[in-house]
Amino acid sequence: MAGDANSIPELEQEKYDADEQVKIICLGDSAVGKSKLMERFLMDGYRPQQLSTYALTLYKYTTTINGKPILVDFWDTAGQERFQSMHPSYYHKAHACIMVFDVQRKVTYKNLSNWYKELREYRPEIPCLVVANKIDADMRVTQKSFNFAKKLGLPFYFVSAADGTNVVKVFKDAINMALSYKKNSSDFMDEVMRELENFELESKEDSSSDKEEECKEGKTD
Amino acid sequence: MSIKAKKCGVTFAPPSIIVIYESEDTKKMRKRVIPVRNFFQFSDCGRAAERLKHHARHSLYLESVPLAQLERLHTVLRDHLRGLTLEESLAAQRGPDPNDEDLNKLSDEALNRRKAQMDIVFERNRRHKDDPDFVYDLEVEFPQNSVRETCSWDEDRSDDEF
Repeated sequence: MAGDANSIPELEQEKYDADEQVKIICLGDSAVGKSKLMERFLMDGYRPQQLSTYALTLYKYTTTINGKPILVDFWDTAGQERFQSMHPSYYHKAHACIMVFDVQRKVTYKNLSNWYKELREYRPEIPCLVVANKIDADMRVTQKSFNFAKKLGLPFYFVSAADGTNVVKVFKDAINMALSYKKNSSDFMDEVMRELENFELESKEDSSSDKEEECKEGKTD
Repeated sequence: MSIKAKKCGVTFAPPSIIVIYESEDTKKMRKRVIPVRNFFQFSDCGRAAERLKHHARHSLYLESVPLAQLERLHTVLRDHLRGLTLEESLAAQRGPDPNDEDLNKLSDEALNRRKAQMDIVFERNRRHKDDPDFVYDLEVEFPQNSVRETCSWDEDRSDDEF
């Protein structure tokens, strides 16, 4: 997976390892309203970055959670879904996924299972939110239950990008879930890397602690 | 007088239904232009077609024209009022059942046509941030506990996948 990501040099994904940075991906069929949802959430504040070579649009978003600034990169498909499959780098290091279908078109609901399957091949554990979009076109759908999310135990939202119903809620929940996933991630490699970093820091401190003390004192004077 | 309609079409300006018919008595081909009045971009095409079909002065000429065809012609007129081109309107009407139409498989052009159609509904229902009752973080609860009808989309065989 890491090798695949490196094949897109413009997209440096190492940054997503930093605590304050998360990556959230959108999945779903063509014309279910993924970009419209993004735009409704970000309103005027969005600066989409079109990477047409990779059929990808990036939306950068900054927020503050518990007093800490958080940078969120939303990845939107920009037509890549037409190949019925996404490039592995799309999933690489993602911390949450927003999966969208159109309540006006059954095929987009049925295709959720394909998207979900692919997502889990690359990211078996990340939080995944299921979004039923376009409820403004027919409010009666909100009286119905959709089993896909229920069976998989995924959070489910009735949403309208047009009138704004629950759009902001979905994105806020996604950001919070992404952050808590990142914090509690039991990914083995993540653990190992963290241990190594701590180890290096400790040994450095040990060897240079006396000097540092001196420096600090020197600075404060 | 007995009339046999041969062809039926529309003109946009002024909005009219055109019937080419043969009068069975004289065996002559004639053209009749039927103006479509009180018809706007949100009018119901089915009802407008019915109104015309039973129109006091025009029904005679439209007797052998199927109602569905009149409805399609009205849809072309209405799409024109909504700013769609003739091609867009016809493509939209040709389109398969939206429930089964996999838009992932369309060409860029066809996909953009379908998106343009969807945008009509989107714009109609859209709340703008300048609207007085605009709420950015609009949360609506749809209670999940009550007696809910299971969506029929869950009822076919591919349900096993979920």
